[in-house]
Amino acid sequence: MKAIYYYFERDFVKWLRGRVTVISSLVMPAAWLVFVGLALPTKFTDNYLQFITPGILVMTTLFSSLQGGSLMIFDKILGFLNKFLAMPSPRESMLYGKILFISVRGLLQATVILLIAAFLGVRILKPIHIVLIYLTLFMFSVFFSAVSTMIGLYLSDHDSYAAVNSMISMPLFFTSSALMPYEVMPAWLRTLAKLNPVSYAIDSVRMLFEGGIPVNGIIGLAIGAGIMVLLGTYQFRKAVV
Amino acid sequence: MIEIKKLSRSFGNLLAVDNLNLDVGNEIFGLLGPNGAGKSTTVMMLTTLLRPSSGTAKVCGYDIVKDSKKVRSKISYVPQDMAVDRKLTGRENVMLYAKLYGIPDRNSKVDEVIEMMGLSDRADDLVAKYSGGMRRRLELAQALVHNPEVLFLDEPTLGLDVGGRKKIWEHIKMLKAEGMTIFMTTHYLEEAEKYCNRVAIIDKGRITAIGSPENLVSSAGENASLNDVFLEKVKTPEEQAGFNFTQFRNLLRRR
Repeated sequence: MKAIYYYFERDFVKWLRGRVTVISSLVMPAAWLVFVGLALPTKFTDNYLQFITPGILVMTTLFSSLQGGSLMIFDKILGFLNKFLAMPSPRESMLYGKILFISVRGLLQATVILLIAAFLGVRILKPIHIVLIYLTLFMFSVFFSAVSTMIGLYLSDHDSYAAVNSMISMPLFFTSSALMPYEVMPAWLRTLAKLNPVSYAIDSVRMLFEGGIPVNGIIGLAIGAGIMVLLGTYQFRKAVV
Repeated sequence: MIEIKKLSRSFGNLLAVDNLNLDVGNEIFGLLGPNGAGKSTTVMMLTTLLRPSSGTAKVCGYDIVKDSKKVRSKISYVPQDMAVDRKLTGRENVMLYAKLYGIPDRNSKVDEVIEMMGLSDRADDLVAKYSGGMRRRLELAQALVHNPEVLFLDEPTLGLDVGGRKKIWEHIKMLKAEGMTIFMTTHYLEEAEKYCNRVAIIDKGRITAIGSPENLVSSAGENASLNDVFLEKVKTPEEQAGFNFTQFRNLLRRR
């Protein structure tokens, strides 16, 4: 268990010291919030910012999680992975430390977006809702960081990772319920959006913003995250002998 | 310390290590061979990073497949990549390993190995500011933090300048004097000749010569060096293809 934290700490300290990456990862979600959230003329709501904020929060953690697999790629191609695997501490702790770091990083970035949204006038009802928003985003992050570390372990170079990442991240976002409610979607998009795991997280967070408790959503995400971590562990063991 | 019995490993059709038998005692043992001869594959099997296709090996009395975790607690492995975190300080890099190995009283142990590798005055600088030789010594410090019985070094002096290489060798000799077994691969035959107790030359996954550098050299004839032994035992792809000197010179003239 301790080893997971040590691996987490390593990535975390390295991340904090790379000042450019800390800031750059926040620019795009903030731009969406301000330039789309405040500007897009919509008919289905008169407060689009309030509507889009859950979508942007989830997008922030989604992109951050998907980006995370590149950390695995670098540890693999630069030789760190082999050094770690030749140590007696449980080998999987390296994978779990990575998933934990990617998820925590996503939550920190989401916090900044949440603060910007609050500054722009978005309101949340009770502290319990904030806690549950974080829980939802964490489950969601674990789900996708497990996916991205799996992709990272599978691929052998950073370019193909970036290609896969850009291939899946935008379609996942646009086919979710981030930008519009299901009622105004064309039928084909509605079908896709209902199948998209990203929508589960967005719908849950949106419900929390409106004061409800999305029991099914949180349980569903927890199960999904659990399954992905198990799959990731299986693939990790297979990949490293 | 290391007993290898009929160890083989293939990748698809390629037989990287072919029926290898080898015993290594408490010594500095150098595994020499051309690129692609199976040196790294052998080291990766012994460090439990790669499963053998057939055969067995024991390190410190533990089987590398069945007791791999015990093997890992007895050894350290320094690959050729120079994998140290540039954005962490030297001390933080070593501390990570002390934590992962679960070293009791780790602050003093980390100070000790950093001191041993002569990095004390730069320990709190970011590794990004280290020279190649310092990074290699930092990796040795990481590897020594849990007092391993066997140290596996893959090309420890690769890409270092003369001074850096000499320093690394002095440290390796010192570790041997303190009772550690060192199993290493290298391309620098002069260094192997000077510092290794025994060397083996491996080509296409098979050992073609083994013994102390002195014996190998004297059997190759007068005024020979380990280079001569190596060239005699290893068929390079150029030789196999039949290198035509005249043709090559004509080719150069034409340009």
